[in-house]
Amino acid sequence: MFRNERMIGLAVLAVIIAILPQFLPNNYYYDVAIQAGFNAIVCVGLNLLIGYAGQISLGHAGFFGLGAYASAILCTRYGWPPILALLAGALVVGVLAFVLARPILKLKGHYLAMATLGIGIIISIVLNTEAQITGGPDGISAGPFSIGGYTIKTEQTWYWVVGGTLLVAIWLANNLVDSPVGRALRAVNGSEVGAEVVGVDTARYKVLVFVVSAVFASVAGSLFAHYLPQITPAKADFFKSIEFVTMVVFGGMASTFGSLVGAVFLSALPQVLTVFEDYEAMILGAIMMGTMIFMPRGLVPTLGSLLVRRRG
Amino acid sequence: MLASFLQFVFSGITVGSIYALCGLGFSIIFNASHVINFAQGEFIMIGGMATVSLVALGVPLPVAILLAILATMLVGFALEKFAVEPARKASVTTLIIITIGASIFLRGIAQELWDKNFHKLPPFSGDQPFLIAGASLMPQSLWVIGVTVVVIVGLGWFFNRTLEGKAMLATSFNTLAAQLVGVNTKKVLLMSFGLSAMLGAIGGIVITPITFTNYETGIMLGLKGFSAAVLGGLGNGMGAVVGGLIVGIAEAMAAGYFSSAYKDAVAFIIILFVLFFMPSGLFGKSGTERV
Amino acid sequence: MTLLVVDNLSKEFGGVHAVEGLSFAINPGTIHSIIGPNGAGKTTLFNLITGIYKPTVGRILFQDQDVTAKPPYELAMRGMSRTFQNLQVFFNMSALENVMVGRHLHLNRGILTSLLRLPAIAKGDAACRDKAAELMRFVGLERFLDAQADSMPYGALKRLEIARALAAEPALLLLDEPAAGLNATESHEVDEVISKVAKQGVTVVLVEHNMKMVMGISDHILVLDYGKKLAEGTPEQVRNNPDVIAAYLGGGAA
Repeated sequence: MFRNERMIGLAVLAVIIAILPQFLPNNYYYDVAIQAGFNAIVCVGLNLLIGYAGQISLGHAGFFGLGAYASAILCTRYGWPPILALLAGALVVGVLAFVLARPILKLKGHYLAMATLGIGIIISIVLNTEAQITGGPDGISAGPFSIGGYTIKTEQTWYWVVGGTLLVAIWLANNLVDSPVGRALRAVNGSEVGAEVVGVDTARYKVLVFVVSAVFASVAGSLFAHYLPQITPAKADFFKSIEFVTMVVFGGMASTFGSLVGAVFLSALPQVLTVFEDYEAMILGAIMMGTMIFMPRGLVPTLGSLLVRRRG
Repeated sequence: MLASFLQFVFSGITVGSIYALCGLGFSIIFNASHVINFAQGEFIMIGGMATVSLVALGVPLPVAILLAILATMLVGFALEKFAVEPARKASVTTLIIITIGASIFLRGIAQELWDKNFHKLPPFSGDQPFLIAGASLMPQSLWVIGVTVVVIVGLGWFFNRTLEGKAMLATSFNTLAAQLVGVNTKKVLLMSFGLSAMLGAIGGIVITPITFTNYETGIMLGLKGFSAAVLGGLGNGMGAVVGGLIVGIAEAMAAGYFSSAYKDAVAFIIILFVLFFMPSGLFGKSGTERV
Repeated sequence: MTLLVVDNLSKEFGGVHAVEGLSFAINPGTIHSIIGPNGAGKTTLFNLITGIYKPTVGRILFQDQDVTAKPPYELAMRGMSRTFQNLQVFFNMSALENVMVGRHLHLNRGILTSLLRLPAIAKGDAACRDKAAELMRFVGLERFLDAQADSMPYGALKRLEIARALAAEPALLLLDEPAAGLNATESHEVDEVISKVAKQGVTVVLVEHNMKMVMGISDHILVLDYGKKLAEGTPEQVRNNPDVIAAYLGGGAA
């Protein structure tokens, strides 16, 4: 996609976010939209890693959870201002991701999947177990998000905060993709040796994108902790990681807007499926299998090429 | 001192046997198709749960076990036929999501078909423990270990002595060459899922009298079986067995001497250490990239 | 001055010597060819020089500095680039972007400047795009300026790799069988591209099976057989070397 198309896409998204509240009849729908927004922020970052650089991670909910818990713990236990806690969380997660990335990203395919999965699970077990700090399985509250004396109180305000953050996240991701760094990342996905021989330090770029995607997840997690009355370890567990990856792949890898669509669709889906209550897991599993079998490239690229073919 | 150590070894080997069977299941499918089947844990769950309900219906235990294994194998065949085969050319990530989707789907069915409660089977030969140097060994543990040994020996025979087994091995070394000499690699793929399902079901059945089972037991067992397989080097059968035992024993030791809360983390900590220093596992082959 | 010195280089794969005790030097500004029967160790030699394999024994000097076992990207920074016998094209990108990746070392690679798309990035990218397009025309790929890499024919991809390597502005360009699998016309076009590159002062080393091409454009030829040097010299000298004739016509002739 060309740069201009991306900027138009961003503008269209801004308009959609601006008019969507007209169609949200009550707080329940706001909640769905807000949760979709949080997921989308994580997925836009994760897509840089999975979609563009071609490195899988089955543990990103761990970074999301660490950001959330960093905010909750620093704010409630140590009385930090939320914005500082958010930045501190992002810093800690960034450093952790940096330290882990070099040995991990030497691995490929299934071995990389295993290692990232392991990291995610270890993080969630620690969050579950260290109850005196994390509150254990019951979780911990981060309190409301306030900045400079202003406190976010209503779902409506959260909607605008999350919408704005999402726009910034997409803008940053698109900028990165369209830069020499972004091309180097995509080159790593295309052929590592091919990238190396023109001077791309592939190990360095893999570490870099791992850190960037972890920081995206951490920031989303921090805000999420303030949005929820209580953050629990379930938000950091293996299934949350799988959910993120599924959103990215479902929407379409290496497509920022695909990640967005995937996140929104799969966040809204369980709300629709609650009608089927007991069959929710079955239907979710079937949808995961079905879309991957029939649209292995994901929703947005598949529909995109259908459109192009029709036009052509 | 020695007694408790021995006790941990016993329980480690028992649960490690299940990880070994599960790891073998991962390896067999991986060899045939380079797919990691994240639904492997569900085979364990289905084996155990199906036996429980058949016994509850009054079916004699041996018959129930046989039927449960067959039912699990059917699920394995169906998984291959309807979920994996149509997506053979998809990327690693896509296939991971498909098999994870399958595992969620199967759990959803299990939750409807049965319920969310824990179920148990009676031990196969009573619950009078043997006392060895102060440590007690349950007869069911001997069942678990014995059955695992029999299965491993049986697999060895299958892969080295039968035509079907040799065809599967050949396919894992070189799919194209195997096709050229007339191996039906599609059938091999189907068989690998049946075989893995069988291993999972057997593991699930023999462990149920010890650990109980419910619709979610497959998740952790499956992930630990995956670590066992990766630890031993993906695709290496003996490696998966050794990996399973290492994970099982380390876990039991950690739970006994350190903290039972971190028991579940042990497998993943081991695997991270091993992967950091030996990126292809303990016995995996490390190939030089050809360009 | 020599540009590249290979000194007593050996590479062993599980007991098999792919390259053994090989020494030679390459002077700047010439076209060198490395020839030899299949399995003579030509591609292994390329992989050793460009840092993809680490030698078992021996040294490699590039611009008078020891670069033995340095990673490929570092050699690229020092002015070495290459193409591959088995294509290493970025099939997930457009043709133009493939060449733009080649400009990597000449662009602003700051992570913050990229995330925020500061003016330096936008300006650098516009220039980079022009330069990449110019290189694509240079190698005769003007038809594919808007193409996706995965939609291009084999012959074009071979030239795309040359354009990508040139984009890095190397002092030494290694081409691994640039004409393999090409028809006569295409092969002739590649031939011309190589001559043009050499005229611009880039030192070219190529592995090639096409004898007509090798004899026509090389200043200097190195003949390998079973990982060892069989002969070395001008095309004329190599053509008349009895060992070379024997190796190519079968062992019995010697």
